[in-house]
Amino acid sequence: MMDKEPNNLELKAALLLGLFVALVAATVLYILYARGSFEATQRLVLVADDSEGVRVGMDMTFSGFPIGRVRRIELAPDGAARIVIDVPVRDAKWLRESSVFTLSRSLVGGAALKAYSGVLSDPPLADGAERRVLVGDATAELPRLVSDARELIGNLTRLTAADSPLAASLANVQTITGRGTGARGASGMVLGEADAKQIGAALQRVNSLLARIDGMAAKADAQVLGPQGLVNESKAGVAQLNALLGDARQTLKKVDALLAEAQGVAGNVRGATNDLDALRGEVDATVRKVEQLVDEVNRKWPFQRDTELKLK
Amino acid sequence: MMLGMSPLTSPQGALAALARSFAQWLAGWGRTVQLAALLSALALSPSSYRADSRRALARHLYLGTAQALPWFTLLSLLIAIVVIRIVLVTSHSYGLSQYALEMVVRVLVLELIPLAAAMVAALRCTIPMAAEVAALRSGGGWDALAAQGRDPLRAEVLPRAVAGSFCTLMLAAVSSVVALVVAYLSVYGFTSAGFTAYTHTVGRVFSPAVSLIFVLKIVLLGLTVALMPIASVLDAVPRRRANTSAELQGLVRMLVLMVIIEAASLVGNYA
Repeated sequence: MMDKEPNNLELKAALLLGLFVALVAATVLYILYARGSFEATQRLVLVADDSEGVRVGMDMTFSGFPIGRVRRIELAPDGAARIVIDVPVRDAKWLRESSVFTLSRSLVGGAALKAYSGVLSDPPLADGAERRVLVGDATAELPRLVSDARELIGNLTRLTAADSPLAASLANVQTITGRGTGARGASGMVLGEADAKQIGAALQRVNSLLARIDGMAAKADAQVLGPQGLVNESKAGVAQLNALLGDARQTLKKVDALLAEAQGVAGNVRGATNDLDALRGEVDATVRKVEQLVDEVNRKWPFQRDTELKLK
Repeated sequence: MMLGMSPLTSPQGALAALARSFAQWLAGWGRTVQLAALLSALALSPSSYRADSRRALARHLYLGTAQALPWFTLLSLLIAIVVIRIVLVTSHSYGLSQYALEMVVRVLVLELIPLAAAMVAALRCTIPMAAEVAALRSGGGWDALAAQGRDPLRAEVLPRAVAGSFCTLMLAAVSSVVALVVAYLSVYGFTSAGFTAYTHTVGRVFSPAVSLIFVLKIVLLGLTVALMPIASVLDAVPRRRANTSAELQGLVRMLVLMVIIEAASLVGNYA
């Protein structure tokens, strides 16, 4: 195995050792990085009634992307399961105050923790926030689903049985449609044979009645619209009425002129009344002047009357 | 002996023989553990790494590892490609592609590669080294060293044991990295787009407990592979020709220990 002695043995051995140390150190650093040891995280606590299926280290996803990792699962004093999740700070922006968290257990594979943020403009979720997690369990739904399905199948079986109401109804429909294809057609299907005959007779009578009504309509037409019809006579009446209206208009015009003249007479009377007012004013002024003149004459005249009243 | 009532044919005699063989088996394990402790103490003491010992150590270290490293890396690359391809195609056909990468990392890196590295290190490095020690003892070199005042355990056995352990660790480290790279390239191709998702998956697989069990497993496998063949030849009575039964016994003990370590790691990881 070791027949010949290679050169620089110690150097080569040191290189091998160095390669080993470098590989181990790089792997350790990579795994620490992968575990998220070099990034700041914030804490989120999800409270569930049952933490079955949740494992330490499993992901919490948002839109299919892992944004958090389960750090610890603990039992709260009230018996609920507290799932403590580390969310890197750079991914925490996807979690908002209004975010909803679900824990779903599928038939194949483990449970899945998912976050949904409907309104991304809401305030961001605080560090250490505590939220209820909604549990959706596919296997828990199975028994109910099976019982529902059994009930449904029972109903279907009853419906499709030979003596079921549905089968009887279908037989009736078949009978009715069979009559529909007979000599009387749809009327034979809806009514009986005798009734269908009566309907036929009634239809014939209605036809003859319609023919008579047609003749009556033609006569009425002639009487109304014919040469001696109502419409023509009405036209002559309207012409006479027009002439009468023209005479009435002339008469009214004359009355109009009469009224205008009466209005002029009334205006003149009003002017005369005004003149009478002025005249009366002038007469009043003259009478007063005459009165003053008489008073003056009386005072200055030897026939003066003592008009003063004296207390004795 | 065949005609009379020999001690072996009586129930008491059979029981005594059974007890004797059990005591021998137990004493053999005891001596192995004692040798392992002695070699570990020597390996940890700085006086074992003086200039002359260091040269012997470097020689065994390089020659033991450098021979096995290239072809084992190539072999692990091919096996990794085949296994990863099988896992990917199978998981895709069952609609479980999201679990494929995690399964590849777990099956290859955590389970198959450490075991394969230990087996190859044993076959290519430590078993031939044990044969050299046996030859040294049968050839009188052992006594000659003792007569010179040098401790043959420190001069001849310790470098081989350290080199054997190192060979296991080195092969496991290189092939693990190769398997991780091949897994990435098989799933995502030659692009850096999947690096974040891949890193996340690797981080999920290598939880602290799993990482601890992984490291412990590789170290224990390395020690087993390095010590058991040498311990078995040192335990046997030195003979002129090769002691085949002692080598086989050492091989069986080594395999039993490896299976126990693997089983314990599986229990630790998945139980």
